[in-house]
Amino acid sequence: MGRKGWLTLFITLAAVLAVAGASQAAFLIRYPYFRKYAAQNGVSLVQARKAWGHPDKISERVMGMAVEASLENWTKVSELASVDIKSRIATYYYNLANAHRDQLADKLMEYYQPFETGLFLPVGEKSSPFQIGCAGDVWFALGEMTMAERDAMLGMLFSPEHKGSRYLRRLAETNLVTGDFEAASKYLRMLLNSPSDRKWAEERLPGSWSPEFRPFVENKRKYLPRTDLVHGMDQNQLILRVLLNSNPSNKMALDYLLCYDLLTKDLDAFVADYVPSLTASHLYEEAMLIFLASKGGMDQENFIHYNISPATLEKFNRFVTIYKRDNGSGRNLTDEFGKTYWYYFYYAVKNEK
Amino acid sequence: MRNSKVISSCVLVIFLVTGCYSRDVRPAGDHTDRTSFMFPDYQEVTIPCNIAPLNFYYTDPDLTRAVTVFSSGGESVTFRGREVVWKEKVWKRLVASASGSEIEVVSTLKSGTVEEKRWKIHVSDDPIDPYLTYRLIEPGFEVWDDLEIVERHLESFESKVISDWRHTANKCMNCHIHSQARGDLSMFYLRGEGGGAILNRNGTLRKLSLRDSSMISPTVYGEIHPAGRFGVFSTNIIIPGMHSFANRRMEVFDTASDLCVADFDNNEMMSFPATARDDVFETFPVFSADGKWVYYCAAPARPVPAEINQLMYSLVRVPFDAATGTLGAQADTVWSASAHGLSVCHPKASPDGRWLLFTVADYGTFPINHRECDLRMLDLKTGNIFTLDEVNADGSDTYHSWSSTSKWFVFASKRGDGMFGKPWFSHVSEDGSVTKPFLLPQGDPHFYDNMLRSFNVPDLGSSSVGFDAEEIGRVWKEVPAEDFN
Repeated sequence: MGRKGWLTLFITLAAVLAVAGASQAAFLIRYPYFRKYAAQNGVSLVQARKAWGHPDKISERVMGMAVEASLENWTKVSELASVDIKSRIATYYYNLANAHRDQLADKLMEYYQPFETGLFLPVGEKSSPFQIGCAGDVWFALGEMTMAERDAMLGMLFSPEHKGSRYLRRLAETNLVTGDFEAASKYLRMLLNSPSDRKWAEERLPGSWSPEFRPFVENKRKYLPRTDLVHGMDQNQLILRVLLNSNPSNKMALDYLLCYDLLTKDLDAFVADYVPSLTASHLYEEAMLIFLASKGGMDQENFIHYNISPATLEKFNRFVTIYKRDNGSGRNLTDEFGKTYWYYFYYAVKNEK
Repeated sequence: MRNSKVISSCVLVIFLVTGCYSRDVRPAGDHTDRTSFMFPDYQEVTIPCNIAPLNFYYTDPDLTRAVTVFSSGGESVTFRGREVVWKEKVWKRLVASASGSEIEVVSTLKSGTVEEKRWKIHVSDDPIDPYLTYRLIEPGFEVWDDLEIVERHLESFESKVISDWRHTANKCMNCHIHSQARGDLSMFYLRGEGGGAILNRNGTLRKLSLRDSSMISPTVYGEIHPAGRFGVFSTNIIIPGMHSFANRRMEVFDTASDLCVADFDNNEMMSFPATARDDVFETFPVFSADGKWVYYCAAPARPVPAEINQLMYSLVRVPFDAATGTLGAQADTVWSASAHGLSVCHPKASPDGRWLLFTVADYGTFPINHRECDLRMLDLKTGNIFTLDEVNADGSDTYHSWSSTSKWFVFASKRGDGMFGKPWFSHVSEDGSVTKPFLLPQGDPHFYDNMLRSFNVPDLGSSSVGFDAEEIGRVWKEVPAEDFN
C-alpha cells in the first residue's frame, strides 16, 4: 500500500473513531443516569445495555430517581418525579420523596397510584431486577433494617455482575445502623478499595464518622423495632405495625401504614390504625367520611375527633350528591374530584396484568 | 543524569502501579470482622499434612514492615511484606518436614514500634480427604441466581464446577452430599422443570423424581445409606419469614414435615406411620455409620411462626432394616430438647461409628442465622456430649460433614462478618478432643475480603465425584426423571 493508501486508511479510521466517540458522547449526554446507575452496579455501559437494553426517556428518568434516592437527594427525586409517567417505580419514588417532606398523604392522590405497589415494590418471581434493586429504599427510610438489608442483598444478587456500590453501601449502612460493625466492616473494606467509594466509606468507618453521618445513624436507630416478631416477606402492614408499636413517633411509618390501608381500600384497618393526634391530612379526612357515612357516624363529635374540616365535609356532600344523581357514574366527578380519595375508592380498578 | 531519569521514571511507574493496586485493609481490630493481627487467623491451628498452602495477610492498616519466618526440622522459609503467599512446592516440603509436629512462626511487624509475635501451626499426620464440595450462593433469602456447586481440591487451589446455572437454565440446585465421604456415592437436587435428585452411584448418574402422591412435598433433607440401595429423606413444607430484629435476619420453619425412604433399586418411596405424624415435625434424617439406625430431629408440632421460639427439636433415632428399607415404629430420644432447652439440627454420624456431630440453637430448624448456634459432638460409645468450645465461635456454626477417616470434620461458620458462611476444618482425636479450626486456604489471601457468596454445606470427599457441570447439563436436558411410586 502506498502513502496515499495509508493516508486514506488513517483518515477513514480517524473518522470512524470520531463518529463512534461522538455517538458515545451523545449517548452519555442523553442518558447520564443510565451511566450512573450502571456505575452503581459495577458494570460498563456495554454490559449495562446487554443486561437492561437500550435506555429510553422513561427508563432514564426512573433510573435517575433510583440513583438520586440512593444518594438521599430527595429534592432531585421530586424533580424527576414531577411528571407523572404512570410507572410503578416512579410512583414509588414520588411517594418516598413526598414522605421525606412529610407530604405522603397530602400528595398521594395527585399521582398515578398502582394500589399498594406504589408504596412497597413487590419482590418476587415476576419482579424485574431493577425493581428488586429499588425495593429496599423505602424500608431503609422507615427504619426497617431487616427488609432493607434483604432487598440490598437481593438487588446485588440480581445485578448483572452480582456486585455494585449501590448495594454494598446500603448493606454497610443497614449494619451500621443496627450496630453490627462486624458485618459492616466487610462492605466498608470493599468500598474503600474502590476509588469512587473510598471517601464515602472513610466517613463511615467505625470511629471516623463524619458530622453528617452520626446524626443520620442516630436518627435511624430511634426507629429500630424493640420487639422481635417473625413475619412473612410481604406482610407490609404487620411490619409497619411492629415499627409503630416500638416507636409511635415514627410518623413516616404511620403515614405509610395509613396510605397502605387506603390504597388497598381497607377502611376498617385504616380506622383501627388512624391516630388523629399523630398525623393529619385531607386524605385521611376524606377516607374517614366514607367510613362514617357507611357506618352511620356522621356527627359533630366524630368530625371533631377526626379533624374533619367543614370544607372537606361540604366537598364530600357535593361528591355524594353528584354520585347519587348520576347513579354511581363518575363521568361528572372526574374534573372536580379526580384527585380525591372518594374518587379513588369508588373508581380505581386494579389491573391484574 | 540520563540514568537517574530512567530510575525516577521506574520509581514513578512502580509507585503508580503499587499505589493503584495496594489494598486498603481497613477496618481491622475489635468489633470488626478482622479481630486478629492476621487473616485468616492461622495461629495455633492444627492442619492436615496434605493441605494446600496457608496464605494470609497481616491486618494492621498502619503496617510499614513485616517479616515472617517459618521454621521446622532445620528448614526455614522467610517472607517479607504484608501478604504471605507460598509457592506450593516450598509449602509441601516444609509441611512434610513438620508432619506430626509443628511449624514455628515468628512474625516481626513494624507499625510505629516493632513487635515480634511467635506462634505455631500444628501439623497432624492424619491426612484429610482431598475433596470438598460446596454450593456458592448469596446469603440465604430463599432466592438464587447463577448458582454453582464446586468441588475443591484441598491439596491445591484447583477446583471444578460440578453443576452450575450455565448448563441448567439458571435452575435452583441444592447442596451436594456424599455418603460417608465417598466420591462414587453422592447426590444433589436440581429443582424445577427438568430437575430431580441427581444420584451418583459408582459414576453412573440418574435423575430421580423422589415423590409419590402421599408425600407432602418432594424430598428435601436426607442421606444415602452406606450400602447405596436406600436413601432416607424428610419432606417439608418450608416457609421463610423475617425477624423484625435486624441482626436475626431470616427464619425458616416447617409447617409440616415427615420422613420417607427411597429404594433406588426398585424406584419405590416408602413412608411409615411413626415418622409421618401430623402432631410431630420430623426432619434432617441421616444413617448411623453401620446403616442400622436413622437419626433425625423431631419436635411436637406448634403453630408457627407465632410460637417459633418454642419450637424445639430433639435428637431421636429409629432402627432401620437395610434388607427391606423399613423404619422402626418406636423412636428413642438420644438428646432431649426439653431437658437441654435447646433445639437440634443436622445430625451427622462419623463413618467409623464413634461420633455424632450435631448443631444446637435456641429454637427452630434453620440455624444459619442464629448467632448462638453451635456444634456438639456425641460419643456414641459412652454417651458423653462434647461442647466443642475450641471449635465454636460467635456466629452460626453448622452444616458439618466428616472425612472418611473420621479424623476431620468441616463445617460452615459465619464467624467474623456474620453473614457469609465459610468452610472451617477441625481435627478430632481418639479421646474426642478437637483442635482450633482453620479456614479453607485460598491462593489469594484477600480472597474472602471480596467474596460475597456463602459456602453452603461443605462436604468432604475421599475421591472426586467424577462428573462436571457439562455432564450434569446433559443429564438435565436429555435424561428423563425416573418416577418413584
